[in-house]
Amino acid sequence: MNDEKKLLNVTIDGVELEVPAGTTILAAAERVGAVIPRYCYHPGLSAPAVCRMCLVEVEGAPKPLASCVQPVQDDMVVHTNTAQARKARRAAVEFLLMNHPLDCPICDAAGQCELQDYAFETGQLKTRYVEPKLVMGRDKVTPEIVYFADRCILCTRCVRFMDEIAKDPVLVVINRGQRGYIDTMTGELFENPFSINIVDVCPVGALVNEDFLFKARAWDLDQTASICPGCSQGCNVSLGTKEERIVRAKPRFNPEVNSYWMCDHGRKTVINWGAGARIEVPMARDGDELKPVDWPQALDALSEAIGNEPGRARAIVSAGASNESLFTLRRLMEELGSDGGVFRVPTGPEAELPGFPKLKLRRDRVPNAKGAELLGFQRSDAVFDSAQGHRGALFVLEDTLEGAPDGFGTNAELFVYIGTRLNPAARSADIVLPSTTFAEMAGTFTNFEGRVQRFEQALRGPGLARPWWLTGSALLERLGAGGRYRTAAEVFAALASEVSEYEGLNYEVLGLKGAGAPGSSAAATAG
Amino acid sequence: MPIGVKTVDRPEVESSYLRATLKGMALTFKHLVRPVTASQQYPEEKYEVSPRWRGTHRMAVHVDGRAKCVACGLCPTVCPANCIKLIPAEDENGERYAAVYEIDEFRCIFCGYCQEVCPVEAIHVGVHYENAEYSRERFVYDLERLCAQKHPFTQLWDPEDPASE
Repeated sequence: MNDEKKLLNVTIDGVELEVPAGTTILAAAERVGAVIPRYCYHPGLSAPAVCRMCLVEVEGAPKPLASCVQPVQDDMVVHTNTAQARKARRAAVEFLLMNHPLDCPICDAAGQCELQDYAFETGQLKTRYVEPKLVMGRDKVTPEIVYFADRCILCTRCVRFMDEIAKDPVLVVINRGQRGYIDTMTGELFENPFSINIVDVCPVGALVNEDFLFKARAWDLDQTASICPGCSQGCNVSLGTKEERIVRAKPRFNPEVNSYWMCDHGRKTVINWGAGARIEVPMARDGDELKPVDWPQALDALSEAIGNEPGRARAIVSAGASNESLFTLRRLMEELGSDGGVFRVPTGPEAELPGFPKLKLRRDRVPNAKGAELLGFQRSDAVFDSAQGHRGALFVLEDTLEGAPDGFGTNAELFVYIGTRLNPAARSADIVLPSTTFAEMAGTFTNFEGRVQRFEQALRGPGLARPWWLTGSALLERLGAGGRYRTAAEVFAALASEVSEYEGLNYEVLGLKGAGAPGSSAAATAG
Repeated sequence: MPIGVKTVDRPEVESSYLRATLKGMALTFKHLVRPVTASQQYPEEKYEVSPRWRGTHRMAVHVDGRAKCVACGLCPTVCPANCIKLIPAEDENGERYAAVYEIDEFRCIFCGYCQEVCPVEAIHVGVHYENAEYSRERFVYDLERLCAQKHPFTQLWDPEDPASE
């Protein structure tokens, strides 16, 4: 049988199309733009057809069919929005709302709740159910996830995520019918490094992350496409920001990297990233103390110091800095004569997601170690050793300098600290330049397999903080070393023309899903 | 051409101030003995306003004095003047409540949308118009102050005419 190659004719809402055999009606309908409501169906999970929301009318079929599991047959004629289909769905919503508390005003899912949407759309504004609603209360399923049993519609997405993707079948539906609820078999809390995905898959507000509970309304958040900085996997995320804070990160679908999922570590890392005390103004040394200056003064001081020929340059960079920033620093160091730079990589235990083996919480807990390596920086466990006795120019780019030895950088002729927070060790710098976090600028990270992925600016930087590639390129222009870059895309274009691993890449090629650098293992999969 | 000055002869009777003064005094004496009060004696006498008058806000409270607000965030969302600040939080019973709830009455345009949108009928605009304060800061009403207001709630619909809803 060559079923997979066979194309079937199907008519959906009057539109004829050809789909491969085995396609479900729901998937085929999506191709013609017909939106079929669904709760239990999730593209990343199996479909048990328990919610009965995706019922459609098929000509010749005695009753409406569940489109999420029904494969298309040849010459099938499907109507997704006829009176019969609508009536069937309306009845399904009415049953789901029977015991649903309708506490939308205090429910965290309001605004992103599929039940709310369809109940409103189908006009279920009054109930015919006269019995008192069943009240079941709330419980925790993990230390961080709260379960509101009343709101649950028993779609079993969370159960199936734990079964099929996490391969850790801890969740079950307990009891039957309207008394059914989700819990672990023993009632104990469970822990799994990917557990918060069950909050994402929940179509209603039954499973809620404590980190986000009552924090913000869904419609208050600004969503920005970004990359998780938690490890070298580089999960595609969309950052939810409110009032210049990152409130949450949700996975953004990318079949090559993280599918629909991401780990709990990443989500927790990214919340409030960059909040708190920051370096907000450039500072230049005046005798014994660092004096705040404005940007032109800072650049004057820096270009003057560089003009005094401090000697060859060494650097300690952070593997959390973007490719653009690292490249700009490399250019600057080449002007002075580069002695190379080092970066350190904090590590942690690895965790994998068996149902989607491409996605792991990687050992390297930084997003851009590979990118730093490709730009010629050395990975090192003892980053301070090489810099300690250095007498020339010393640059520190976004490294926290935590654990730096006493008197770090005092030997250097010129010590420039570019970063976000002023560690005591950074106070001995000659010039301190405030830079931005990944969320406060656009840029790219290169993940563990060499896949280059873009992230967009979600927040404003504090005070006068600017991305280092912006200030760095202004400085290079003053030194007469190349043009000034005004956007991250321009820096990346220059980078791609200079570094062979990035050849042929630019921001348009990368798009929102990223692309593998040629010659890397990602190139084969990215195509 | 020279500018000419024209002198108009006025009749003495009409141009005399004496006559007008006496006329005025007569009116004054008339009102002394039989006063006609067309003006309102504010503040002793308050102005009667419509039950649908939209004045400064008031928060409804439970019997135990807690605000009825569940911090759902609909009023700051609907507010066209952006005058409501709300920070939700979780209390010891796991209930959602407003940790911070402030209305800037200077910014408010008194449209009454907040009252209309409130799902628990907590925030109301009120039948109230005496708002004078000694400082501008006092016009940012916090939750405590909103709960302490005593004026009647605004009727969104004409109470006489149920069809108006």
